[in-house]
Amino acid sequence: MLTTKDKEGNFKVAGIVGCVTWVSLILILIKNLLEVLSMSFEVNGKVIEVDEDGFITDPDLWDEAVAEYLAKTEEVEELTEDHWKVINYLRDYYKQYGIAPMVRKVTKETGFSLKEIYELFPSGPAKGACKIAGLPKPTGCV
Amino acid sequence: MINGKHLKPRDMGKPADQLTKIDRLMPLPGPFDKLDTAPEFKEPKEEWREKYCTTLDGFIAIDTLKRPETKEEEEEFVRKFLQGLGKMLSEETNRGIIQPLKLSIEYCAKCNTCSEACHIFQSTEGHELYRPIYRSEVLRKIVKKYFTKSGRLLGGLVGADIDLNWETVARLGELSYRCNLCRRCAQTCPLGLDNGLLAREIRKIFSQELGIAPKALHEKGTELQLKTGSSTGLTKPAFLDIIEFLEEDLEEKTGKKIKIPIDKEGADILLIHNAGEYMSWPENPMAFAILFEEAGLDWTLSSDLLGYDNVNYGLFYDDGQAKKIALKQFEAARKLGVKRIVLGECGHAHKAAVVTADRMTYGANKVPVESFLPILRDIIKDNRLKLDPSKNNFPVTLHDPCNVVRQMGIVKPQRDILKAVAPQFWEMTPHGVYNYCCGGGSGFAIMNSFNFPEWRKNVSVRMKVKQILEVFQDTLEDASIPKYICAPCSNCKGSMRDILEHYQLTAKYNVQYAGIVELVVNALADLDRPFFEFLEE
Repeated sequence: MLTTKDKEGNFKVAGIVGCVTWVSLILILIKNLLEVLSMSFEVNGKVIEVDEDGFITDPDLWDEAVAEYLAKTEEVEELTEDHWKVINYLRDYYKQYGIAPMVRKVTKETGFSLKEIYELFPSGPAKGACKIAGLPKPTGCV
Repeated sequence: MINGKHLKPRDMGKPADQLTKIDRLMPLPGPFDKLDTAPEFKEPKEEWREKYCTTLDGFIAIDTLKRPETKEEEEEFVRKFLQGLGKMLSEETNRGIIQPLKLSIEYCAKCNTCSEACHIFQSTEGHELYRPIYRSEVLRKIVKKYFTKSGRLLGGLVGADIDLNWETVARLGELSYRCNLCRRCAQTCPLGLDNGLLAREIRKIFSQELGIAPKALHEKGTELQLKTGSSTGLTKPAFLDIIEFLEEDLEEKTGKKIKIPIDKEGADILLIHNAGEYMSWPENPMAFAILFEEAGLDWTLSSDLLGYDNVNYGLFYDDGQAKKIALKQFEAARKLGVKRIVLGECGHAHKAAVVTADRMTYGANKVPVESFLPILRDIIKDNRLKLDPSKNNFPVTLHDPCNVVRQMGIVKPQRDILKAVAPQFWEMTPHGVYNYCCGGGSGFAIMNSFNFPEWRKNVSVRMKVKQILEVFQDTLEDASIPKYICAPCSNCKGSMRDILEHYQLTAKYNVQYAGIVELVVNALADLDRPFFEFLEE
């Protein structure tokens, strides 16, 4: 119990354990709030900025830990070997051409059908996979 | 918050956290007739309210319109807007537009014929904010107050009853992005006045004078295109890689071995696609290659900067950007020495390159520009393709891109094509020059910041959803029958994809979409298997 009632029936924080718990809860809340406001997050001491859709603004800061963090924001609990196959392909292509590959190419080169890609990345190849792979948000009439 | 039925133009300057909200939506036909028409839109987030302009209807279209931090910044913003308004009204600085602009400002009789024509006004069951002349009236009041003697002297007595402050201007800017610029209102106006033109003029002042435009159109649109060659960021090496891939894929799909011509000097036709096709709908450029080769046309693509992306988002918000892009596209064609530019399936590119850019240069700088539609119609009419229309034996409807029909009058060729390849072709009601916008027009299909997509998916696309449900009403609920929306425009296709996903029309009812060339290729007699993947299962 974190709170007890005093004689008048008012709630009162119970001792030092309660205090620490409350303070840490508030701190977590403030941290989360700051993250939302500044649209950035921290992984292994690196501050990563994202745009309002959660795409990282500087693709050079991407690493595997960042990918794992971004995966959680796109309904991907764990990055398996299959996920990495897609992510690595996207990154290699991006490194070479400065743009994400066309979806058709992703399916052909990785051997996954579009349906399988959606199973791996529920929010889809562009919004989900590209975001986790640290590519910028697609632009133009795509 | 002022109710949608009682909102007046003079309210635009009033202090309020949010001026008004959408309280009702137009009912949709079955199977969506049970949908709630009293929408529950999410409140804009607190941090959005602090930083951006959410005080119009709670939605944000302009993701670069930030609240000023000081009083000086606020005043500077209003001063610059008035300066831009002055330029808008001057023949020196707005020569090409001034005549229809002045007519539209001065002659409105407020008969409201245009309101009936506007899909956004209708979709919100007549919300005053979205009445086509509401925006124009606000603009008129400001012009009256600051640019006429009577307005300066007599103010409210002569209709100049509006407070001009940061909020008024910012709201007006937002409101200029609640119009698809489809110009259905202009078409119906008995006096020929154009509310769409006024909405675009406001966007122009924001971009050209205040340096404010949605990122998707400017920073990630025209600027990216001028820098990399395409608003998709597609570079020349990536473009060449894609073409190679298309050739392989095309052979696998159809058994046809085609070398797609690139940078062929002196060709008759330079074909330019919307580069979004390469990224999202590669079957479209593939289908073009098949048809142009089968018909024996002398054609080429260009890998030159701005030679492989026909888009020109400047058309939506900025004359200067529009001109820069149009001239570079002409340059790419001139370098190759082609006889003409032919535009692929992109509506706004049609209007930008054929109509708008027509007055941007002259003489030897100019290259003739055409739509692909009459060319494809002639190919079919001359029997240069062996067709078996029974391969397309499913219901097909045509979504007319506004820029192709209403803005340019190209109406019959696409129908002649469909009649030759689609035995079950059904027109939407209304169609042709009286069509309704897909809801994604004037850049909306690609503007996805903050809560703007929520507005688009419920409001601006609504009339098109209604038309789709109506045209397919007989077969809609039978998911064994594919139903095809032919939308020969990349932007419209983006909007269709949005609609089909949001209303689950593909998942539940097997409604499909793509362009017109894919339908023609699917009807080619010599193909062993269907060109459309949805026919394969």
